[in-house]
Amino acid sequence: MPRRERPRPISKGTAIIDDELAVAGANVAVAAQPPRRAVRRRRPLGSASSAWLFLLPSAAALLGVLLVPLAYAMWLSLFDYDIGAGIDRFIGLGNYSALLADQQFWDSLGRTVLIVVSAVTLEFTLGLLVAYGLYRLTFGVRTLNLLMFMPNVITPVVAALFLRWIFVSRWGLLSGILIGLGIFPPDFLGDPAWARAVVILSDAWQFTPFMILVLYAGLNTVDQSQIEAAQIDGAGPWTLLLRIMVPAIRPLIAFVLAIRLMDAFRFFDQIYVLTAGGPGTSTETITLYTYALAFRLLQVGKASALGVITLLIVAAVILGMVMTLYRRDRGAF
Amino acid sequence: MNAATTRRGWWSGRAGRRMRTQLPLFLLLCGFTAVNLTPVVWAVLTSFKQPVDAFAVPPRLLFTPTFTFHYQVWVEKAFWHYLINSVVISISTVVISVSIGTMAAYGLSRLRSNTSRGVLFAILSMRMFPHVLLAIPFFVLARMLGLINTYPAMILALVAINQPFTIWLMRSFFLDVPGELYEAAEIDGCSAWQVFARVGLPLVRPGLWVTALFSLLLAYNEFLLGLVLTGPATKTLPVALAEYGAEDINYWTLSAAAAVGIMLPIVAFMMLLQRHLVRGLSMGAVKG
Repeated sequence: MPRRERPRPISKGTAIIDDELAVAGANVAVAAQPPRRAVRRRRPLGSASSAWLFLLPSAAALLGVLLVPLAYAMWLSLFDYDIGAGIDRFIGLGNYSALLADQQFWDSLGRTVLIVVSAVTLEFTLGLLVAYGLYRLTFGVRTLNLLMFMPNVITPVVAALFLRWIFVSRWGLLSGILIGLGIFPPDFLGDPAWARAVVILSDAWQFTPFMILVLYAGLNTVDQSQIEAAQIDGAGPWTLLLRIMVPAIRPLIAFVLAIRLMDAFRFFDQIYVLTAGGPGTSTETITLYTYALAFRLLQVGKASALGVITLLIVAAVILGMVMTLYRRDRGAF
Repeated sequence: MNAATTRRGWWSGRAGRRMRTQLPLFLLLCGFTAVNLTPVVWAVLTSFKQPVDAFAVPPRLLFTPTFTFHYQVWVEKAFWHYLINSVVISISTVVISVSIGTMAAYGLSRLRSNTSRGVLFAILSMRMFPHVLLAIPFFVLARMLGLINTYPAMILALVAINQPFTIWLMRSFFLDVPGELYEAAEIDGCSAWQVFARVGLPLVRPGLWVTALFSLLLAYNEFLLGLVLTGPATKTLPVALAEYGAEDINYWTLSAAAAVGIMLPIVAFMMLLQRHLVRGLSMGAVKG
């Protein structure tokens, strides 16, 4: 962070002295211009207690618009609440037991785990490899990095349409190319197995760049002397990556994986646009199932219960991960 | 090694040896980038095509470009109206979210690190809430209060959802400010608010812009909440596009034109934020 405020030099001759003053805190005086010569007035509130006051507006927003609605959703999950039919009846944990006995719930959970695990594994592996490639490359890195990064910032709905136009049957680019090569293309979005693959790919397309960028930045923070020492000991590029660099950035890896897992679990926009959970229910994740329950079937109570279950699963996964890694690497977060 | 250089030419020299590992690596990474960008390029091409060219098999790379569909979708099909909705909603979100988030981040940076760590963890865990779970009470409450299809519903929801990100990122900028500066200002008699507004804030001004742009992107890209909380009058661009793109395949070139238009501000955003991408993406965990 560059120092922003600097006292104006009185003259060129005193500029040096002035700089020393600036270090001593004169820049604060210029930036703040408090009543300098006033007798020290009542000391402002102890800085610790006033620090809490600054948290208030944000805390109010988080409480009012995030925590209260969450609590309300938990409350709703105890009701047989159907907006369409106007039923509103307390049934305790009835929604939960109904869901646990519901095959569609287990299927969607299974698909979610499959999609999340495959996508995040793919993103991490590819991301680390490409980041390491960029790390070893000596020219053109900035440009390549920026170009590669593009898919990550595109609006997910737009990204999904872009991919739709690649994979859609008959008119899609991929089908077109395959037909040109004399191969009969599969129906990428219409075949259950292919549709799942496309959904995984679409997540990877948008989020591998995120992995690349963050891991590349991480690799650049690894202590240079450690790398040189390893190289002198005859470590090849792969040994260097897996034995020196990956362990060195383990806290960062834990952090990105946690962030990515959280987001992958609620992956919605792209599936909604690409396949809408279809064909049949073959790409319906737990998030899409919740959406369908709440906003198609209007079974708000059951949908809330499903959302709460999702939250518990995500929390357990993240907590487990953080606990395991945090014990080893203090300061990962 | 020198003898080898003279015998086998430049290729085996020091520079040559470097090129032999660097060039394949470069080409490999270029190939990866090219594959990565294919969907984008293809969509841009499609948006300039007549349907005849768009539906040609095998795919056509050479064609006479037309701007008709860009004009149609943005001017005649009222996408400009959705653009206004998107702009109003995202800008209001950013103004509110960044102001209160910055104050919170400042407060956190001034707490003892043990205390603030707990609060930060709590805030980070809120980032984990599935949006679809929040969308349900948002919808039910907004319906009760008659806020569906109004700007405030969407703005409030987005502010709350963006808070954890905003606070974490802003805090990383406040951590760069040495605490002695605040103490010096306090000794000089600044009130708590003055210390924040006149010392802290000017020092994190670059961070403020970075955070604002990132929150803007999050708000602009949001889809699920828009789907639930907006109606005909407040529909945002992603929602409008998703409805539109799902229709008849004959609208293909039109929705391509809309999609490409929606992407344009984001490309500008990326250019503006190049240097800060890493920091923004990792919520300040890595200083790029």
